[in-house]
Amino acid sequence: MTVFKGRAWKFDDNIDTDQIYPGKYLPLTDKEEMGKVAMSGVEGFEDFSQRVSKGDILLAGGNFGCGSSREHAVVAIQYAGVSVVIAKSFARIFYRNAVNLGYPILESEAVDHIGQNDELEVDADAGLIRDLTTGEEFPCTTLSGLELEISKAGGLIPYLNKELEKG
Amino acid sequence: MGMTIIQKIIAKASGNEEVAVGDKLWCAIDLAAMRDFGGPNVVLDYREMFGDQPVKDPEKVAITFDLHLPARDTQVANNQKLLRDFADQTGVPLFDVETGVGQHTLLENGMVRPYDVIVGTDSHMNLLGAVGSFATGVGTTDLVAAMATGKLWFKVPETHKFVVNGTFQDQVGAKDLILHVLKDVGTDGLLYKAVEFEGPTIDAMDVAARITTMSMVTEMSGKIGLIESNDKTIEYLTEATGGPIEEWHADPDAPYVEERRYDVADIPPQVAAPHSPDNVVSVEDLLGTHIDQVFVGSCTNGRVEDLRAAAAILEGEQVDPGMRLIITPATQNVAKEAVREGLYNIFIEAGAIVTNPSCALCTIGHPGVLAEGDVTMSTSNRNFPGKIGKGGEIYLCSPATAAASALYGQITDPREV
Repeated sequence: MTVFKGRAWKFDDNIDTDQIYPGKYLPLTDKEEMGKVAMSGVEGFEDFSQRVSKGDILLAGGNFGCGSSREHAVVAIQYAGVSVVIAKSFARIFYRNAVNLGYPILESEAVDHIGQNDELEVDADAGLIRDLTTGEEFPCTTLSGLELEISKAGGLIPYLNKELEKG
Repeated sequence: MGMTIIQKIIAKASGNEEVAVGDKLWCAIDLAAMRDFGGPNVVLDYREMFGDQPVKDPEKVAITFDLHLPARDTQVANNQKLLRDFADQTGVPLFDVETGVGQHTLLENGMVRPYDVIVGTDSHMNLLGAVGSFATGVGTTDLVAAMATGKLWFKVPETHKFVVNGTFQDQVGAKDLILHVLKDVGTDGLLYKAVEFEGPTIDAMDVAARITTMSMVTEMSGKIGLIESNDKTIEYLTEATGGPIEEWHADPDAPYVEERRYDVADIPPQVAAPHSPDNVVSVEDLLGTHIDQVFVGSCTNGRVEDLRAAAAILEGEQVDPGMRLIITPATQNVAKEAVREGLYNIFIEAGAIVTNPSCALCTIGHPGVLAEGDVTMSTSNRNFPGKIGKGGEIYLCSPATAAASALYGQITDPREV
């Protein structure tokens, strides 16, 4: 069972990759360094990586991660310590990059009903979000089919290695 | 059940007779491209995961440099060196700092064919749908997997059909059409979906106009945009690739989820106001808005046809005092042609800065970052907050509207110049 527990950080619709990971940091290749600038393009969140605690949960509106193809966006959020991202919808490449990295992303409309800083418990296998601050529960999507297999393997490369071993 | 062109491409690439919407399939990759951004991460991950294992088929991989060129600092220079060393070791072709925007470079060098499956670490890979390729942006991990195995997984998308009729007004063109469509469809209107464009207006378009149109499918969240070949694209591709070029068509009963129709005859020049590419209005609604900087270039509007449109307005004129007009050809070949035609003289005499071929302002490359509060007109494709510098405002438009606005230092209707 995959359960995440942490504080909610809420963001708007259409948060693009330049806000998640500003273009000026594209030359970075060290993942820890990339984590230090996560979300720093969003006004008021320039110091997000210092304020976020390990395991915290990122909530967003629709089309999260739109814009560039940079996988840095997923890596930065992951290395900032965010345990899972829940959005109304994800931009295609961000979604694909997250699956390929085995990083958990879930879709839910609950984002509108959860408060900033609420304590959340997310059961990714069951597709359930519990707001421990308000006592409310909300459904969320779970991965299925090939995406679930890739994610369970820990990402695309571990998945391919397993397939190659199987022959 | 018939198939769309996009389904036919996936069927071929996955070794199936037929494929249906929603199928998840492993497809053979014809070309996997990385850039000076993203590329270094690809190489480091590839080495970490596969060590010295040779790239499966180096001829189906390419490295293009288009972002920070020539290198602006040590980190960038080191990244570029890392990629050059990798190309030397693996035999992967590399197009160095002088060549220009990646997709355009691949196209000019005959590495792109209709019905190929092409991926790259660039969200605007979609623009290669202009010549009928199945091309889409991916991240680092997909590139690593494609280099190691030659395959990637795709879900067969639902496909929309957009039919375009009518003849453009003078000084109105592909960029105005696609901004008009973007306003209608919205920035998430094609999420996880594909679109095929057709109709007399599209048939009449040259390769450059088709590139402009397809590049903005990315801004609708589209997975794939695609246009059937016409005589102009077949002629272009035959020359670039050595031919022969096949022609495929969608089946008459192909399952499109939706058809939309547009007529360009009445479309005035379009402008996307800050801070979203679908925040589109007629240029008439913004006349007089003060502009500090104008950019003509990018993967969307950096062809010689785009430079000609700007030059036609700038010829014999001077930009507004204080205006910073930056013009960037997409590739070295575009630059050579622009020089031959005398466009560089027109630009420089008008007071413009003509830069080396590259992505220039996009992704805060260089040069031309905005100061806080600066306003720019750009022929690029995105106007998200911070895209060309924190606190800057970006209006998206055609090369003609950009050039006209540069002359007056304010948003100007190119039909009135």
